Amino acid sequence: MIQLDNVSYSYEKGGGVSNVNLTIQKDEYAFLIGPTGSGKTTLLRLAYMDLFPKVGRVVVNKYDSSKIKPKKIPYFRRNIGMVFQDYHLLDDRNLFDNIALPLHVMGFQKDEIIDRVKESLEEIGLDSKSNHYPNELSGGEQQRACVARALVKEPDIILADEPTGNLDPVTSFELIKLLEEINREGTSILMASHNYNLIKGRGHRIIEIQNGVVRKS
Amino acid sequence: MDKMMFLLSEGLKNLWRHKLTAFTAVFSIFLTLTVAGSLIVVSDNTGKIIDYLRDKYKIEVFFKQNTSNERIKEIVKEFQSIRGVRSTTVITKSDAKKIFKSQFGENILDIVGFNPLPASCVINLVKEKKDKLNLRPIIDRLRKFSEVDEVNYQGRLINRIENSYQAFVKVSIILLIIILIISILIISNTVRLTIYAKKDLIKSFQLVGATRAFVKTPFILEGIFHGLIGAVFASVLLLVSLEFSSNFIFTITGVKIDYSFLNLFFILSSLGIVISFLGSNRAISQFLK
Repeated sequence: MIQLDNVSYSYEKGGGVSNVNLTIQKDEYAFLIGPTGSGKTTLLRLAYMDLFPKVGRVVVNKYDSSKIKPKKIPYFRRNIGMVFQDYHLLDDRNLFDNIALPLHVMGFQKDEIIDRVKESLEEIGLDSKSNHYPNELSGGEQQRACVARALVKEPDIILADEPTGNLDPVTSFELIKLLEEINREGTSILMASHNYNLIKGRGHRIIEIQNGVVRKS
Repeated sequence: MDKMMFLLSEGLKNLWRHKLTAFTAVFSIFLTLTVAGSLIVVSDNTGKIIDYLRDKYKIEVFFKQNTSNERIKEIVKEFQSIRGVRSTTVITKSDAKKIFKSQFGENILDIVGFNPLPASCVINLVKEKKDKLNLRPIIDRLRKFSEVDEVNYQGRLINRIENSYQAFVKVSIILLIIILIISILIISNTVRLTIYAKKDLIKSFQLVGATRAFVKTPFILEGIFHGLIGAVFASVLLLVSLEFSSNFIFTITGVKIDYSFLNLFFILSSLGIVISFLGSNRAISQFLK
């Protein structure tokens, strides 16, 4: 499902990842753990092809980073849901429109968009707040909305970059549980976090990264 | 269809979301189109005056005394085949005698004992000619006939009018192009500010799998709306100014400014759409590089 073969990437100002070999299987829930600056975000950006490896290759859903054409990248991303620490919700539209955005992009009909968004909002428990704007929601609600936006297009994979970074411990655990439910329904999840206490003992695979090198997987 | 509706509504909503940019862009387009519209009306009316003057252009050809009427008929027939000649009117010696009598009230035969007035031909020139009217080839061909004694025409005046008109057309076109280019650059930079302000939106679009065209379309549509609104304002201002100045100029000079509001609106809207499309497309394309 996600495969990184001898992947290296470095930024001009330093940092990045070095010689990473990693495979995430279908239906797997894996945590990527490491301190700030260890290369977690770089690894996720490589996985959704926002960055391209300088050495090696990334293969996700049969899309190969060494062969993919730029115009194919949008279509590749339609099967990947992304969740970010700072939410990336759009302030100029309400929750419903934020979650509907990927479906408009994918060309869904209006009726189906309404059905799917309602379903997603119910799944994350925010169906009563569909008309609220992001700044009218708490951090936890915004992050759940982010998950709903990733989920609404029924992706094969969800990549979550520090989704609990701005949340309190209780809300963080609720989010992890929500992602576990999504995983049980057949979506692979790769979640980056620097908080080991949050993820330990949940029975999921933990990939440890330090200074851009995968230490333990 | 739903996708198109979504993009259209995004473009419309962006107008409201980016009010300051919209104001700057619309104002810039409004100014450009007002100047462009004024140039178009002035140029069009100057063209009509030139057409009117061209209609008055004529060449008079005087034949030698011994040329027979039959030969004159043959020659005039050849005149009609010359490029640029619209019509001919033959004035025979006998016609000339009558004209003399009608103008001076006396019979020329009674004064000098014979008819010294030559036969002649008045040549009217082609009216609807957009490019410069060049009389030289026509005059040269007329003079080639051995029966032709003299060719009279308002050469210097015609040349001066034609040269001035050509210079005016050239200056108008260059001015219009310069104004349009400046306007495209202003719009492009204005839209670029919006794009930088909305880079999160663009990033979100890209992350959820939007194609390049999908990201670009709302910004381009927004630009086209700017163009249309600017065109409406410019057209209204020109309509009011023209109505006012037309009456004023007519009172003073007797010349009525001629224009079609619908045509003007159509031209200005098209120009507005084109410049705002080019400006916004340039800005978003550079950002997405």
